[in-house]
Amino acid sequence: MLTSMLAASVPQTGTNAINDFLAGVKPDYVPGWAVPLTAIGIAVGLTVAIISVVAMFSVWLERKVAGHIQCRYGPMRAGWHGWLQPIADGVKLLLKEDLVPLGADRVLYVLAPALVLASVLAAMSVYPLAPGFFFADIDLGIFFVLAMTSTTTIGVVMAGWSSNSKWSLYGAMREAAQVVAYEIPLGISLLVPIMVAGSFNLLEVSRAQTGFFGLNWYIWPWINPFMLPAFVLFFIAILAETKRAPFDLPEAESELVAGFMTEYSGIRWSFFFMEEYAAMFLYSVVGAFFFFGGFESPLTWGAAKLAGDGSVLHQVAAGTTLVVKGFAGVFLMMWLRWTLPRVRIDQVMTLGYKYLTPLALVCVLGAGLWEVFLTPILPWRHG
Amino acid sequence: MVETKDAQRTTADPGKREFMLDVRTQDMEVNMGPQHPATHGVMRILVRADGEVCTGAQPHLGYLHRCAEKIGENVEWLQYLPYTDRYDYLAAMNNNLGYSMAVEKLMGIEIPRRAMMIRTICAELNRIGSHLIAFGTYGLDIGAFTPFLYMFREREWMMALFEKICGARLTYSYIRIGGVFNDAPPGWLSEVERFCDVFEEKWHEYVDLLMVNHIFVQRTANIGVIPRAMALDFGLTGPMLRGSGVDWDLRRDMPYELYVEIWKSGCFQIPLGKGERGTLGDCWDRSYVRVMEMMESIQIVRWCLGSIASGPVIADIPKTIRVPNGEAYAGIENPRGELGHYVVSDGGKVAIRCRVRGPSFTNLAVLEEILPGALIADTIAIIGSTDIVVGETDR
Amino acid sequence: MKATAKYFRNCIDALKTTLVGMRITGKYLLQKPITVQYPDERLPIPNRYRGIHYLEQEKCIECLACARACPIDCIEMDAVRHGKELEWISFTLDYQKCMFCELCVYPCPKDCIHMGTEFAFVSYDRSEFVHDLLSYRGMARDAKVRMLEAEEKKKAKEEAKKAKEAAKAAQLAEQEGKAAAGGAQGGPGQG
Repeated sequence: MLTSMLAASVPQTGTNAINDFLAGVKPDYVPGWAVPLTAIGIAVGLTVAIISVVAMFSVWLERKVAGHIQCRYGPMRAGWHGWLQPIADGVKLLLKEDLVPLGADRVLYVLAPALVLASVLAAMSVYPLAPGFFFADIDLGIFFVLAMTSTTTIGVVMAGWSSNSKWSLYGAMREAAQVVAYEIPLGISLLVPIMVAGSFNLLEVSRAQTGFFGLNWYIWPWINPFMLPAFVLFFIAILAETKRAPFDLPEAESELVAGFMTEYSGIRWSFFFMEEYAAMFLYSVVGAFFFFGGFESPLTWGAAKLAGDGSVLHQVAAGTTLVVKGFAGVFLMMWLRWTLPRVRIDQVMTLGYKYLTPLALVCVLGAGLWEVFLTPILPWRHG
Repeated sequence: MVETKDAQRTTADPGKREFMLDVRTQDMEVNMGPQHPATHGVMRILVRADGEVCTGAQPHLGYLHRCAEKIGENVEWLQYLPYTDRYDYLAAMNNNLGYSMAVEKLMGIEIPRRAMMIRTICAELNRIGSHLIAFGTYGLDIGAFTPFLYMFREREWMMALFEKICGARLTYSYIRIGGVFNDAPPGWLSEVERFCDVFEEKWHEYVDLLMVNHIFVQRTANIGVIPRAMALDFGLTGPMLRGSGVDWDLRRDMPYELYVEIWKSGCFQIPLGKGERGTLGDCWDRSYVRVMEMMESIQIVRWCLGSIASGPVIADIPKTIRVPNGEAYAGIENPRGELGHYVVSDGGKVAIRCRVRGPSFTNLAVLEEILPGALIADTIAIIGSTDIVVGETDR
Repeated sequence: MKATAKYFRNCIDALKTTLVGMRITGKYLLQKPITVQYPDERLPIPNRYRGIHYLEQEKCIECLACARACPIDCIEMDAVRHGKELEWISFTLDYQKCMFCELCVYPCPKDCIHMGTEFAFVSYDRSEFVHDLLSYRGMARDAKVRMLEAEEKKKAKEEAKKAKEAAKAAQLAEQEGKAAAGGAQGGPGQG
């Protein structure tokens, strides 16, 4: 029974599929326009749920990784090895007093965390979590993701300005300068795998890396030697985009107390944190898709062979692979946070404009030349 | 109101200021207030900033004033000892040593050799502990969270050693007038030797993880440069002075206790800032001096362990100490600089005056001179590199 | 040319030091942590630890040396003297003031006040911090016995003295009587 369940073929789902399903079961007294709305509502709810779980797990992972790097345990008392700690934190934050500082711009102050989280949720909507499971399949996949994650900057600047505090303003200004500077190498370094794959769509890029037990991943030098430098630049750029150390000036703990988040407390503050961890996960999943094969791994290959392409087992294996790769990237970001000191704002700018951007352009040029001249003669790049 | 310096100082390029005068901007006065994660203790620095560039700074002190010197005029000589612990609480053994030396000088008594050995070991171990915190918290200010915890791991061991010998972890009151309170328990000296061995390995880790890290070097090199003349003008002492290349260390130049012998034996050097990674006298140089001094202290401790004498650990002094008429000054090399005690007595059980020269207080004065022109992030780096302990500044 | 070299040297230096740092932190990531889970596991506390005081009450002679030695005057004691023995009322140490400096331990001539290994002192009420170190009020049994013996001895001595004096007085009176009688007789006889 289980094997037949797992082998059953799962159709391409999406909000459309939910819509169709609901239209099928809709009782007569419900008007027609309620169905798409409900479908969208369910999709949004699922997205929020996924992001929340990811954020909570990341919080726990961060604290344990930080602890063990620093020769201590991290949370141990809330559940076995502290796995209930994020839930305890969440409950505590919910119970805190909801305060808006005197003199703060109330509308902007309240809107800022919502905007920041909404951008990340919007970016999440184009992600395929399994080859047949995503909410919106658009051809402009990665472009849309980068655009939506950039809108978080507006929220951060709003937060810093509306807090009516000098320290918050410092954090917001630094954030704006930093994010704008690192958008460029982020986009340019992603051009390398996009060129090789020929598509912006995340699923297409993942499919282009199938086969040969993972030896087709774009990161390997025999595919294109400029991929590895591009990945390094991409990784540094996403560290800066997500405001992680060594680029965590906007929330520089030791200098500005909490930067732009200083005046926020309770659940509003936790929105900023959820956004940070969600963005870390999302960017690292982008890295997984473009450089590390996305859904492809020996596990997925085995599931496809066992139960057939598109089956439930295959979907689950693919989803697991993706999540593992995503969290590996998140783990690497955490490891770097606890190793490196913070870079000063003008040095961040120097690094972004003078080091990363020219090197990214060189990578794109080199990768392009490789694609044009050397790919036709390399046998493993055909087909 | 902070008095700003010339408009020339507000930007790196004085010439550029001309066309910017059309735009009226107002300098922001930011309080690096009494509560701030980066000022080491309760100290307030009023910073006037033009955007990210600091144009003026004014330290405000007194938040941790506890009337230590006045108390010195009201309690007996030996009773004052625990109060000396509490000014520079990170290097309490050195404070006890300074005070005891001043009073012993006035009393004219001689300390038994074993007592001097143990005193030197304790003072140098505490110097290591203090520099561990100085460097660790400096890393914390710069943004490196982990080296701080690694250094605290070593400091825990040092505090455990002190706990075994005197019972306290931070405020020891162990080095007393006439010697030390009690002898080292059996096994203590061999544990100190083991500590030295392990510490040498970990020292290399600290250097690799933080000292030569490219980002740390970029954050601290060429920042907060104190030229040699300015260092001497302001009366800086300790690593602040040696970081600017001035070769002055009280342990060699005005030696006390066993340091004449120790220097002659050649087991330790005085590390100086050399401008290796930037300008001479920048923040990196000062950190470099502190890190190298930790190694030198290990060498001193090893020398003492090698030539430890046996005998009494306290001189023959009466239970109630009455110090003869007169005055005396004793300056020692604290991890932060020259800690001086000036005691005046009229022959009684209580001091007439017990004045303390805290090195952090004098070192702090130079901030007003070097902070203008630095970015806000550099402000933190500079304040961290002066290694201020507010307990010593305010007493 | 030098600028280009410096540019690339910066890149390589940054990458190299980052990787070296990551190796060190990675090493500790995989090692067992060195901390203990405090309330459940504890580290051993050395003998000389300066914790809450304890008093060996039988030895104490209420000489007030420890109270005089305390820089903050936080020791107060109260007892009634019965000859050489003490009837204890209180021996309090105010832990709101105590700075655990151990200066009270050394001057004690009978070596009866010590500092133990207890350090946690938590209370909801400030009055509990004025901690009484006595283990019993009043007098110890053997002290009382000694006091009663001393009193008895004193009484016996006094009685003996009184008896002796009475005997001496009686003897003196007898002698005077005899002398008076002898003198009265012998006086006129000689003439």
